[in-house]
Parts: sequence; structure tokens; C-alpha cells
Amino acid sequence: MDTLLNEDEELLRDQARAFLAAESPPSLVRKVEDEGKGFDADLWRKTAELGWLGITLPEACGGTSAPFSHLGLLFEEIGRSIAPIPIHPTMVAALAINEFGSPQLVETILPAVIEGEKLLSWAWFEQGGDIDLDSIQLEAQVQGDSLVLSGSKLFVEGFSDADQCLVVCRSQANSTGSVGITLVLVDTASEGLSSTPLPTLAGDIQHELHFDAVAVPIDNVLGEIHQAGAAAITMFERAVILNCAMIVGASRKAIEMAFEYAKGREAFGQPIGAFQAIQHMCANMVTGVDGAAILTHEALWKIAEGLPATTEISTAKAFCNDRCPAALRDGNQIHAGIAQTKEYDLQLWYRRAAAWSMRLGTSIQHRRIVAREIGIVPGQ
Amino acid sequence: MDFGYNEENERFRQEIKDFLKANVSPEFHAEVQEMQGKGMGPLTKELIIKIGEQGWIGMSWPEEYGGRNADRIDQYIFEEELVRARVPLNIGNFIEQAPAIMAAGSEEQKKYFIPALVRGEVTFALGYTEPSGGTDLGSLKTRAVADGDDFVINGQKTFTSMAESASHIYLMARTDPNAPKHGGISIFLVPMNTPGITIHPQWTLAGGRTNDVFFDDVRVPKTTMLGEENRGWYIGSSALNLGRAGAMRYYTYVSLFEETLDFARSDPLGQQLMNDEASRDKMAELYCEAQVARLFTLRSLSMVRRGINPPYEISSEKVWGPEFQVKSTEVISQILGPYNQLWEGSSLAPHQGAFPRHYVSAMVSTFGHGSTQVMRNAIARRGLELPRGPV
Repeated sequence: MDTLLNEDEELLRDQARAFLAAESPPSLVRKVEDEGKGFDADLWRKTAELGWLGITLPEACGGTSAPFSHLGLLFEEIGRSIAPIPIHPTMVAALAINEFGSPQLVETILPAVIEGEKLLSWAWFEQGGDIDLDSIQLEAQVQGDSLVLSGSKLFVEGFSDADQCLVVCRSQANSTGSVGITLVLVDTASEGLSSTPLPTLAGDIQHELHFDAVAVPIDNVLGEIHQAGAAAITMFERAVILNCAMIVGASRKAIEMAFEYAKGREAFGQPIGAFQAIQHMCANMVTGVDGAAILTHEALWKIAEGLPATTEISTAKAFCNDRCPAALRDGNQIHAGIAQTKEYDLQLWYRRAAAWSMRLGTSIQHRRIVAREIGIVPGQ
Repeated sequence: MDFGYNEENERFRQEIKDFLKANVSPEFHAEVQEMQGKGMGPLTKELIIKIGEQGWIGMSWPEEYGGRNADRIDQYIFEEELVRARVPLNIGNFIEQAPAIMAAGSEEQKKYFIPALVRGEVTFALGYTEPSGGTDLGSLKTRAVADGDDFVINGQKTFTSMAESASHIYLMARTDPNAPKHGGISIFLVPMNTPGITIHPQWTLAGGRTNDVFFDDVRVPKTTMLGEENRGWYIGSSALNLGRAGAMRYYTYVSLFEETLDFARSDPLGQQLMNDEASRDKMAELYCEAQVARLFTLRSLSMVRRGINPPYEISSEKVWGPEFQVKSTEVISQILGPYNQLWEGSSLAPHQGAFPRHYVSAMVSTFGHGSTQVMRNAIARRGLELPRGPV
């Protein structure tokens, strides 16, 4: 038992932080956003060169078999620097391919991902934005050697730059819950697949996907057809905790900016940080973000150890969603007027941390999972 | 990062659990309830001695003072299981004063007090707060005046819990009235049976007791002073910081919620109330926040084990835990509604009427041992290095 980072983890964090501070300055973040690009290709290439896209992936594919917690700490630093790279959607899909894909899929897809040559995305959400498997209604029909997809997906991240998209679909008509769920890798250029851009508060572009009888080779199915409910949940949970790590990282940076501002900004003849009203806000901010961070770390550790982590993941996400944006709002309040301007950098972090806290399940949805997992259930 | 317990830790937890199962009886709990505010009953005394014999009190202290150099994680486990079994032995005081005595005490004091604390023979009441102030502790007025080989103490302490049962009081008194306020304070380890000490009870809303303690020409030898004269503030504040940490405190904050969680899962009324989705959401929210209380404690513990003196993390525990406790009792009261107000003895009172007692007793946690406002000042100033203002 030692909740603090060990030497390896500190090294990883420090190196990532130093690299991203140098290579992903706010000017780059602004440029990518202003130009409407999904990501910065140069930064992505450098990220791949550092081996980041292979963390936890097989060495045979060019990866490094580090524990999952390392990947989480890396995502925390990526959140901290709000680096404009599609690492979240790519790694979520890559992790699932590694865990559930056929050897052939692993061998053909992962080396290119690790090299930085192939971008991935994944698609879960449908109308309503629910996070349970009942919400998965995208229809998939087996026709010969193909799976034919019809329906739509929402809030898909990194789609326009992705080569392939890992889609959660319902392959047995009239099934519910985890029965009849299939995970399938779809080429983004497939015939019948179209998309509508959904610009977001974070300054990136999500997509609505329309599947009009999109035929996908059955070999692109991950794991067993009709039986990927558990695999889909695992993929979703990994996505959630990596999202938490990004929220924590971005929030940490933003509150640090507010603390520095409070030390330097003078009003009524003293630094505003000397007022107890401001000090107590700052104490609340650091406590909230510390809480989000340590919940996230516990969940990361459990995943790394191969332990059940559903409760911890949803606990972390519910807490991050509520507390991190609240800490950032306090950061805005400390800055006051300047916080609303585009020119001042704080807003880059604020918009992203806020938008990320609205993705991958609300605090209410995740508390529903927590309640179920701790035995608080209706109808007894 | 490592959020797991090793096999040795798990074995130790089982050892404690087995001991508590064998030695904590319903009669013990009945005695605790019955003796509230009247000192320690025979079963309680017996249990303290037994626990002392196991070598669990102060187990992480050095062997020469009666500890066994045990891993602090094991001490954490011991405290956690003790509170979970609702054994109110005020272990916190052992934890709080012993490190100060080890750090600042004379050889004679260490040799006497530490083993006696370990055996459960010495217990301390904390003589800090006075009627003029608790949060502004540095302004205390109780005087200790040197007279030959003695000091003569006059003054009053208030909200002195355990004074009626403690063997000693860990007393802060002013030894130099002309020094700056934090510079003229000393600490004395005074036996409670010293002539001139009188105790007046203050009964509390939760049915418990705290006390006013009066010192009228209380004469103690100079050897009762802990550490150097006029250095008491600095000795005391390090002990106070440690006293705010540890499983005993964290678990005290969350145990009321855990009891309620069990109630919601297993009592028919609790289950009925959980049919409301809003109530389930609230319970889940409390669960999430309780995990933060646990993890903040483990964070401080991890730092102390690595030899780091936590600059602000213990203060974070002391903000989060107490405010969680208050919030949890409020949330639960709005889930239970009229049932939450039924006092012990009401025929319809769920959970033996524990809920209204929890509700009123929770308030103490946000001001006892330093208010959450002072803790926030410490987080901001020591942790975040924000400037100190005029106040």
C-alpha cells in the first residue's frame, strides 16, 4: 500500500510533462482548433516516436508491455497539456483490439497504430446518450461472410481522421442488455457509411455516423459474434477511466493557473490570494481535484492488477464530472473578467475539461452503476 | 502506485477481526452506551488492557518505548477495524501525544509514559481549548508560574473530553506572558488527581459528555514539563497535525454512512426507501465521497511512511472527512424523513434510534480539533503557498 507514484511512474510523468510542455504549447492548441483540424500531425508523429502509442500493447507489434496505470498517467499528462492529438479514441480501440481481436486483426492493425500510421475511433452512443448496453440498437445482420450494419451512432470522437472505427452493435434482433452484442471494426471509407460533423465546446469535432446497409467482413468481428457484451463494457470502462485521467490532468493545470493568478493579482492593496475568501476557494479546488486524481489512480491500479474495477471506475468518473468542472469554475471566478476572454489561455483548459466531463456518461449515470455495484437496488 | 494490502497486512487484519469477535460482546456495547459521560466501565477497562497486552497500541513506535516497529499500514488496519467494531477507546489520543513525547520528552518521561500508553494504563485528556478560544489556540490564558522546583498552574480549560476518565491531562499553559503569543507557551503532563483540579461536566446534544476543567493553584514539579520551556506551541502543533490523521479519524467520519448503507441494504424500511431513484443516487454520491475520505487518509499515511511531512494533505483529510460526515447525516435525514427524528426509545425508531444521535453528533467533527476553516487556511498557505494576509 502506497498511494503515491513510484520511481518509474514519476519518471514517466516527468518526461511526458517536459515533452508536452515543449511540444504542445497553447499556441499549437489554438492553431489546431482555429484551423478546424482534428489534430497536429507533427505532434502525433513525435508521440509515436516516443513509443506512447504502444504502452500496454504487445511487444511483438512494437509495443511496450507496461502496466495499464502507466497509460493512465500518460493520459493525465496529455490532459494537462490539452495536446491536440487523437490518442483517446485511437488507444481505446487499440486496447480492445489487443484484448479481444483475432491474432490476424492484432497483427494487421496494431503495428501501424503503434507506428502512428493508423488512427482509430470507436462508436458506442446512440440517441439519448445512455451508457448501458440496452441503449445499443445499431442493427447488424449476418449475410454470408459479411455483417451488414444499419442505424446510427452519435458523439464519435476522432472519426474524420480515423482509418477504422470499432462499432458496438446489436446483432440479434429483439435482444436486450449484453445478449446479442457484437464488436466490429469498420473501415471509415466503407460504402454506405456517412457522417455529420458535431462541433463541440472542447473545440474538436465529433461525428454522427449513418450506417446505410454497411457491409463489413465477418473477420473484422472482435471475439465471438453476438457475445461481445462483456468486451464492449470493458472497452467502455477503459475509455471512461482514461477520460478521467485527462479531466484530472487538465483540471490540475487550470487550478494551478488560478493559484498563480491569486498570488500575483492585487486588489484592495494586497494580493487577492491573501484574502481568506479566495484561500478557501483554492483549498476547495485542490481538494476536489486531489480527490478526482486519487480515485482515478485507484481505478487505474485495479485495472493494472487485473482486479474488478467497475465500481472504482464509475466512482472516479462521477466524482470527476462533478468536482473538476466545479474547481475550474472557481478558477474562473478567481480570474474574473479575464476568464471569459478568448485571448487568455485559461479558457482552453476550461472548455476541454468541461466538455470531457460531459462525455462517456454523466455523473448520474455513473452513480447508477455505483449504486448497483454496492447493492443499493430497487424492488427488494 | 499500489492500492493493495499485502498478505501480511491481510493476515494481520484477520487477527484483529478474530480478536474483536472474541472480545467485543453485546454487553460491552451496552456498557459503553450506559456509561456515556460517567467514565470507563469494567468491561471497557478490561478490553483496553487486553488490547494493550496484544501490543497493538502504538505498534508502529520504536521497540525501546514499548512499540514493535510495526508497519504503519498495520497500525492503520488496527485502527480501522477497531472503529468498525465500534470500540470507542479514544485511540486517537495515544496516537497524538505519544509521538510528541517521543520527540520532545525527557528520557524519564519516555520510559514512563510510552510503555504505560501502550499498555493502556495512561490515557490523556487534551488540555488545549479555553473559554476565550479554541481555534485561536495561541491566545490561551491559563498560567503556569515557576516557584522553586515547581510550577503553579491557574486557569480554565473547556470542551475537555475524557477529563472524567483520563489519568493525565496534556496541558498547554502560558509560561511567559511577555513573549509573542506563540512563544510563551509550554506543555505539561499533569496527573488528573493533582490537588486543585476540578471537573465540571458539559452534557452534549448527542447524549455524551465533555468538561470544563479548573486549575486552582495546581502545583506540579518542573519534571512534568514536556520539552523546553516556551516551546510548547511547536511541540503541540506537530502532535495536533498527526492527531488529525489516521484510520481512527477517517473511519469515525465514514462509519455512520457505512452503518446507513447496511441499513439501506438489509433493513426492510431501508430497502423500501431505496425504491426511490433519487435516494439511490444520493447514497451512491455519498459512497463516492466516502472513498475520497479513505484515500486521503491512505495518501497521508503513504507520505509519512516515506518520511515526508505532509504539507497540507492531513488538513485536507480534516476538511473532507468532517464535512462528509455532516453531509452524510443530512442526506440520510432527508431520505429517512420523520424516521430520522425518532430518538432512542421511540417504538418506531429504526436502527435503535441511532440516526438522530448521528445527526447531532456529526457537527462536532467540523470544529473539534481545529475548525475546517482553519484547515482551509493551512491548505491554502502551507500547501498552495498563498500569501498570508493581515489576518
